[in-house]
Amino acid sequence: MKTFEEQFTAWLDDQLAGQELAEFEASLPDKAAAQAEKKSAHQLRTLLKRELVAPALTNEDFFSHQLRERIARDEAVPASRERESFPWTIRRLLWTGATSIALFLVCAVFVMRDKNPSEPSPYLTQILNARLDPAVSPDATVSMFESKESRVTVLWTEGLKSLPSDYASK
Amino acid sequence: MLRRLVLLTACIACMTGVSPSDGRGLIEDLLHPFLPTHKKSSAKAAASSHVGEVVWSGLVMASNVVKPEPIPAELASIEPTLKALFGYNQFEVIGQSRETLNDGQENWLASSKHFALHIDAQGPNEGGYVLNLKLMQRETTEPPSEQLILETATKLSKRSPLVIKGPQIGSGQLLLVLVVQ
Repeated sequence: MKTFEEQFTAWLDDQLAGQELAEFEASLPDKAAAQAEKKSAHQLRTLLKRELVAPALTNEDFFSHQLRERIARDEAVPASRERESFPWTIRRLLWTGATSIALFLVCAVFVMRDKNPSEPSPYLTQILNARLDPAVSPDATVSMFESKESRVTVLWTEGLKSLPSDYASK
Repeated sequence: MLRRLVLLTACIACMTGVSPSDGRGLIEDLLHPFLPTHKKSSAKAAASSHVGEVVWSGLVMASNVVKPEPIPAELASIEPTLKALFGYNQFEVIGQSRETLNDGQENWLASSKHFALHIDAQGPNEGGYVLNLKLMQRETTEPPSEQLILETATKLSKRSPLVIKGPQIGSGQLLLVLVVQ
């Protein structure tokens, strides 16, 4: 069972015939107005058919080329975006790590080279200089060392003139 | 490229060290954080931190005896070292002095009958005192005379006693000991 709108559209397009046409036209409340509407619809159809003609492309190759390029660009974008989402690639990370280690080693070498390993600790007593009177003990020598366990600094003399035991008195 | 150049420049600046006041770089400061650095600014602090400290200086006669006397309290902490180094079992103090430091410029004397240890403080320093020491031998002849045996300059640290081996006396050994108490 067609609706009224379907039957009216078919009537405008002259697709109703026979008994169906007669029944539909009989059901129209104002046949003259409907005929006028059918006539204007036909005029509109004719006008549209005449005016709405697809323009012929004179440079369709250029447009095709443009379209293909755009499609190719759009397909390439996701891959590059994926790459740019994490700028530190594995290769760059490796290079950065190697460079950092190299810089650290260079700094360490500079610092360790400047530091004299034989320099005494500032927290131990240090002998700045020592002198024995050559007139009293001409062959005497002096040396110094540190006892690390007890943190004692020792100034060691050798060859001082020995003295009799009464020099030990208080 | 420009960013890499800036990064490289910053690294070189860190390596060379932008610290002109004491000549030490940032890297060295980072690697050696406990080294004394700010000498000028800490000179007063060093002087004030040493005020009231006592320097014990002693003339010690080391000898081997059958029944050794107990070691003096001032030497108790270094008794094993003294015994190991010198090979004696008795350490007797024959002269001593205990000086309280106020401005670090004091001088004093530790003496026995035949020896005198002159100590002349040259002021506090980073971690200790600079002291000039002179060991004099006294002769009791007429007129009495003094003869220089040993002269030394030392930076005496609070945590590190100083022991000086003196002349052999009889079968024993004269030792000079300085301890910051």
